[in-house]
Amino acid sequence: MSGYDRALSIFSPDGHIFQVEYALEAVKRGTCAVGIKGKDCVVIGCERRSTLKLQDPRITPSKIAKIDSHVVLSFAGLNADSRILIEKARVEAQSHKLTLEDPVSVDYLTRYVAGVQQKYTQSGGVRPFGVSTLIAGFDPRDTTPKLYQTEPSGVYSAWSAQAIGRNSKTVREFLEKNYARDAPPATEQECVKLTVKALLEVVQTGAKNIEITVVRPASQIANLSSDDIGKYVDEIEQEKQQELEKKKQKRGEN
Amino acid sequence: MGSRRFDSRTTIFSPEGRLYQVEYALESISHAGTAIGVMAKDGIVLAAERKVTSKLLEQGSSSEKLYKLNDNITVAVAGLTADAEILINTARLFAQNYLKSYNEEIPVEILVRRLSDVKQGYTQHGGLRPFGASFIYAGYDDRYGYQLYTSNPSGNYSGWKAISVGANTSAAQTLLQMDYKDDITVEEATELALKTLSKTTDSSTLTPERVEFSTITKLDNGKIAQKIFKPQEIETLLNKTGVTKKENDDE
Amino acid sequence: MDIILGIRVQNTVILATSKAVTRGISVLKADDDKTRQLSEHVLMAYSGEAGDAVQFSEYIQANIQLYSIRENYELSPKAVSSFVRQELAKSIRSRRPYQVNVLIGGYDAHQKKPELYQIDYLGTKVELPYAAHGYSGFYTFSLLDHHYRPDMTVEEGLKLLKLCIEELQRRMPVDFKGVLVKVVDENGVREVEDF
Repeated sequence: MSGYDRALSIFSPDGHIFQVEYALEAVKRGTCAVGIKGKDCVVIGCERRSTLKLQDPRITPSKIAKIDSHVVLSFAGLNADSRILIEKARVEAQSHKLTLEDPVSVDYLTRYVAGVQQKYTQSGGVRPFGVSTLIAGFDPRDTTPKLYQTEPSGVYSAWSAQAIGRNSKTVREFLEKNYARDAPPATEQECVKLTVKALLEVVQTGAKNIEITVVRPASQIANLSSDDIGKYVDEIEQEKQQELEKKKQKRGEN
Repeated sequence: MGSRRFDSRTTIFSPEGRLYQVEYALESISHAGTAIGVMAKDGIVLAAERKVTSKLLEQGSSSEKLYKLNDNITVAVAGLTADAEILINTARLFAQNYLKSYNEEIPVEILVRRLSDVKQGYTQHGGLRPFGASFIYAGYDDRYGYQLYTSNPSGNYSGWKAISVGANTSAAQTLLQMDYKDDITVEEATELALKTLSKTTDSSTLTPERVEFSTITKLDNGKIAQKIFKPQEIETLLNKTGVTKKENDDE
Repeated sequence: MDIILGIRVQNTVILATSKAVTRGISVLKADDDKTRQLSEHVLMAYSGEAGDAVQFSEYIQANIQLYSIRENYELSPKAVSSFVRQELAKSIRSRRPYQVNVLIGGYDAHQKKPELYQIDYLGTKVELPYAAHGYSGFYTFSLLDHHYRPDMTVEEGLKLLKLCIEELQRRMPVDFKGVLVKVVDENGVREVEDF
């Protein structure tokens, strides 16, 4: 304890802003979120904390929030913090539409969210947001999928596929191996499948602990049902099984 | 730099990314009197145990663990009553402002979220400690019907069929999980709540002075009725459900 | 001199607004749309001071849409109308009030019934079977009083509206360039083509 991590968000002599770094630790403790760009869609997938037996199934807060009819935001980190960030983003989206007639571009929204996060690293008496976000969608009148990430420091970046939160390193390594930037998943199904597969790297309990949202151009946002996700999970499990058997056979031949 | 000392009191991240102030607040609540909420198909019951510190304490007729927030929502409190009353005041204002704007009662989840947002604020800015109170909200609205929520000092909230906050929650939750059925009636829920409360209480038996109890049900005309029971009514209730039996067994 | 008319029939609300934008003695535009869709089942028609009307309507639209996105749930027409009334009531007590009158047509998807609200710039709100703002009421209420039945079909309602518009065209001293007609029912909002 040098003291430089006690006061809020100030530089330490060796150039660290400890509160921001600690906020990233809070992100790493949050459940995992994955975003993948397809050829003409973006898919966001989340690890969902298992619902306890007495929890009301009607009110399981989703980790994927609609910001406007064409953008969604997912996060990893502190749930309560994310609500505040989501609320600010939603108000900005409407306010932007009100003053400029055009809905927000995904890029603009990302910059706004990152800007808010930055402000909380450099204002008096506040701690940073313990939240990283993935922002996905399509710009108005455009069919190019967009995917961005923001961090507690206020840094933002564009991605083809990205994972945040607990075990995100494992998932990112999986994505680096299985995602080709020059040949992104051609269909929505393939894209969803890759997302589910990526999540299954770190989610042991299968479909009921995964939530998936697909964003298509022209403000089409669809949340997949647990049954739909279940089908993808079964398919992936089967393929894994087949591969294992093939390997066994090969071994036998040798 | 007059505000320096002030600033440094705002909740900050620990190196592991945790918010200790929030965790300590949660800890303080785990010593508070238990509150239990059980949702039935035809209503919701709330039961709470208040700690009686001395025989000489004048028990006010007003409840200290159960409060009406508006015509459709009752809340049970575990933790610092003084902190809770601040939040309850805010909640009542939110509810009436919503009613004034939309001429409709505030949906339960909106109120719960608004209040949780206030709690979240105290974990991020202002230079103040977090609120030391957890709530169980029991309410009704047209979208979801009966609903039961909890919120805690971190600003998180969640929806439940049966839930407890305060001391011995894990024991209470296990008991609730064992005996809860999806289509129970208010009467059965009453019994479940009181029995659970009596089994998890630190002292041997429940007495009317130490229990607070309330129900939310629907009247025949579709209006929601909230009832916070009076000590005498609680005594009848306790006798009926037989949770005072322990005393008799001892004799 | 804008015309805004609303008729509530069985399961549907019809809203009609004049297509002319006038300034002084000139018609600036002949295909104006004086309505804004607030949510899936709520449509607002407005008339009043040129800048105020659009500004106010879009401000309301943004707020109602924010509510829908935030809650993933649509406000009832009654709640929307109360919100609009509150905003106008706040405005009239401000330094420079909005000079806007509105009609709100909505379909309550839960109670399965259509509702029509009239709200003026003073913040007076009334739920009505048929309503108008400005001069158009003077020419059409007698027709509406005579022919209106609450159990009319949309077709009958549109026929009655046609009578009203014909009367306005006959008696009004200005050319309002016809009306744009929209209906709100359980399927949402749609424009009536070739009215």
